[in-house]
Amino acid sequence: MPQVGQGILKGMGVTLKHLFGQKITRQYPEYKRPLPERSRGMLTVDMDRCIACLQCMRVCPDHCISIEQEKRDADGSGKAKPYAVGFVIDDSRCMYCSLCVEVCPVNCIYHTEEFEAQAYNRLELARQFGERPVDPTIDPKPAVKKKKPAKTAPGKGTKGEGGEAPKKAPKKKEEAA
Amino acid sequence: MLSEERRADQSALTEPASGRLVNPDVRDEFGLETIDMNMGPQHPAMHGLLRLILELDGETVVRCDPIMGYLHRCQEKIAENRMYPAVIPMTDRLDYFANMHNEHGYVLAVEDLLDVEIPPRAEYIRVLMCELMRLASHIPSIGFLLLELGAFTPILYAFRERERIQSIFEAVTGARMMFHYIRIGGVKADLPPDIPEKIWSFIEGLEKNFQSDFVDLIEGNEIFISRTRGVAKMTQEKAVEMGLTGPPLRCTGVDFDIRLDYPYSVYPELKFDVITDTGGDVEASYRVRIAECLESIKIIKQCLEKMPEGAVMAEMGRRIRPPEGEGFGRVESPRGEFAVHIVSDGSDTPYRVHYRDPSFVNMQLLQEMVPGHYLPDIMPIMGLVDPVSGGWDK
Amino acid sequence: MGTVLQYLDQEPLRFLISFALVLFLVLNLAAVLTMAERKVSAYIQLRYGPNRVGPRGLLQPAADVFKLFTKENVSPGRSDLWVFLAAPIAMFLPAALVWLVIPFAPDAVMANLNVGIVFFIAVTSIGALGVVMAGYGSRSTFSLLGALRGAAQMISYEVPLILSLLGVVMLAGSLSFVDVVIAQGDTFWTWYFLPLFPMFIVFYVSSIAEVKRVPFDLPEGESEIVGGFMIEYSGMTWALIQAAEFASMGLMSAITATLFLGGWQPPLPFLDLGAFNWVWFGLKTALIMFTFQWIRWSVPRLRMDQLMDFGWKVLVPITLIYLFIVAAAMLIFQEVL
Repeated sequence: MPQVGQGILKGMGVTLKHLFGQKITRQYPEYKRPLPERSRGMLTVDMDRCIACLQCMRVCPDHCISIEQEKRDADGSGKAKPYAVGFVIDDSRCMYCSLCVEVCPVNCIYHTEEFEAQAYNRLELARQFGERPVDPTIDPKPAVKKKKPAKTAPGKGTKGEGGEAPKKAPKKKEEAA
Repeated sequence: MLSEERRADQSALTEPASGRLVNPDVRDEFGLETIDMNMGPQHPAMHGLLRLILELDGETVVRCDPIMGYLHRCQEKIAENRMYPAVIPMTDRLDYFANMHNEHGYVLAVEDLLDVEIPPRAEYIRVLMCELMRLASHIPSIGFLLLELGAFTPILYAFRERERIQSIFEAVTGARMMFHYIRIGGVKADLPPDIPEKIWSFIEGLEKNFQSDFVDLIEGNEIFISRTRGVAKMTQEKAVEMGLTGPPLRCTGVDFDIRLDYPYSVYPELKFDVITDTGGDVEASYRVRIAECLESIKIIKQCLEKMPEGAVMAEMGRRIRPPEGEGFGRVESPRGEFAVHIVSDGSDTPYRVHYRDPSFVNMQLLQEMVPGHYLPDIMPIMGLVDPVSGGWDK
Repeated sequence: MGTVLQYLDQEPLRFLISFALVLFLVLNLAAVLTMAERKVSAYIQLRYGPNRVGPRGLLQPAADVFKLFTKENVSPGRSDLWVFLAAPIAMFLPAALVWLVIPFAPDAVMANLNVGIVFFIAVTSIGALGVVMAGYGSRSTFSLLGALRGAAQMISYEVPLILSLLGVVMLAGSLSFVDVVIAQGDTFWTWYFLPLFPMFIVFYVSSIAEVKRVPFDLPEGESEIVGGFMIEYSGMTWALIQAAEFASMGLMSAITATLFLGGWQPPLPFLDLGAFNWVWFGLKTALIMFTFQWIRWSVPRLRMDQLMDFGWKVLVPITLIYLFIVAAAMLIFQEVL
């Protein structure tokens, strides 16, 4: 057993010291702390740059982006190019993983600094960015196309001669430091 | 101890409680029965959603059966339909107190399949982030142990430290908890230039407060000692037989740490000790966690001093399509050994991903060690295991 | 005005008015104590506590009481309803009744009983009954465990409580609170906490156990049995149990201040405030209430068998031995005292 003054009384001394010390609470609605520049808040889309490549829809693990695509000549160049007439981001599913941001080839989808998403109805959390509203309750078609038709268990070989080696394509995009 | 009289062979799902007490010669002649009680999934102190079916003889626990599965999210099955890089945000959500270690384990398994060379700066950044995460996990673990014993203040001091670590993580990765930072082939982006400064000042502040807030307040406290000394005392053989890893194993004296026994990343170049204690009880696990915090501070300082310049991502293609085979990656997470086993069939998505989570395996301690103790002792024993419900349920 | 006061001073009316005042005081004390508890706990835990309702959060108890009035009183389906609803009353009455015999200032005591200490001991024993009624009437396993723990704890800690009071009674020579306060004198070195220091500590620790606060709050063990005997109460019935707990905390502080710290006596003679000495009484009570809360937020709780060991194997022998020492000292130094 420790001596008197070492055990409980020492602990009580620590709490008494903190009683008169500085408090660390920040009063939230009056004080909002400045967020770092890399913070990942809610997503937003710059529809003028979107080329409707559907990469963000395919990579999203939660299937929260739904895009309705049609061929239209939007910029008057004479050729009908893919155009996103409907674009919905479902905030009730988004997990802020930023995979869509990284994979977008024209940098049109990006994170804002907002994080306060409130609604009275869960369906109101789906934000529409295109002309035609898209129904967020329908799961967009799963994007990963299987190369092999039947899933058979691979043999217990070492890795090596079977599949394709990774190609020396352009380096995976990194964000600027 | 009455543990030798417990019925280790019965399980709650197959056989009902028979009503036999621990000392049948005395109790049966009075016609007494045990109480069947449920410390249910809704409980403020269960570290998540755990259901314990208890059979009590007065205040002594005769049988304790944990029932898990209330947070099961089918992560291993969902991972079969996601591409390899898209599984990483899901591994974040497994053991949500040690996210960096989960990502690291998964990424090591994929890199084992791909056989890719990671640049040294990326390795150092990974270790730095993992050790900061270990600090951010051990300090609240101590707070939770005390919260369940009834002292409500150390956890708030612990969360002050964790909040500071989370702001460092937010400046580096962009999120406070679900980082998605360690990628296949390196890390996502380099550290911002002012981060080493912030980490140094955080470490200095922590070292100033650590002794008074987490050691003085707790270690000599007579009530804490009497609640935790001798509770769930394990021998080394018992701990190894139960398959424990991490602080519950090291507090019995077994010298097993993945960072030194199966080294990965740059741990061979860093100098640190493995912390063991010979107590084997809850107080020993508390001391092990405190000492591991101090070791992590040492490792962080070494990482910051030794960090080389260079790229943070390996030269890889845009498509991660590993060849057929199996990959295995294991890391030392704050709770024990976290390992990932991936079976690949050569396509974009894994064929099977299996997570060996430390919380799931360490939970066996509850079924083995709780019978024979009193009901209030369940809480310190859960503090010894320190499970996280995302871990045992996946 | 004189005749109105004389009329009100007659017996039945005087007592009824006093009792109404006591009830008012006790309920307000319970409400203010909830606020004090939250603020003290917040300041220890590096945060501010409630600071939105009213200036610096001072109207928070009013908001709490209003909310509790509007909440539904849920009772379990198979509970014994009479026992279930009578239990909060049985817990609250002892905490309210003993205030009648405590002197607030010279000549300001509502019932000047000459067996005030016996009255205090007898009435606080009813609290244990209230705990068992609450737990048993709820008919749920958790509350049964809490009730049994509560009964065992409260009954066994009454023994050191009473034994430590015997030292005070011996020194003061009377069982009345008023006489004890007057006998303590108006200098702080003659107050009874100095000559009877072990008894003061034992009384203080036993009073924490009687009020069921941390480190002795296993009947209400928040981590294992989530509320213990009061797990099935909600709304105004729960508020009454909480009011009983805070009122008894205030009561025990007041009694510690009265018996050991001099009651309304000032620490030095020149600080005597005459009829305003209730300020000194209030300050001493507030100091002891603060130490109750300070201990609550610093220390973990004891397990049941350790609690009982501590009570029977540590506190009772200390008081018994010290009782003999005090008696011997009184015999030897009889001419001095």
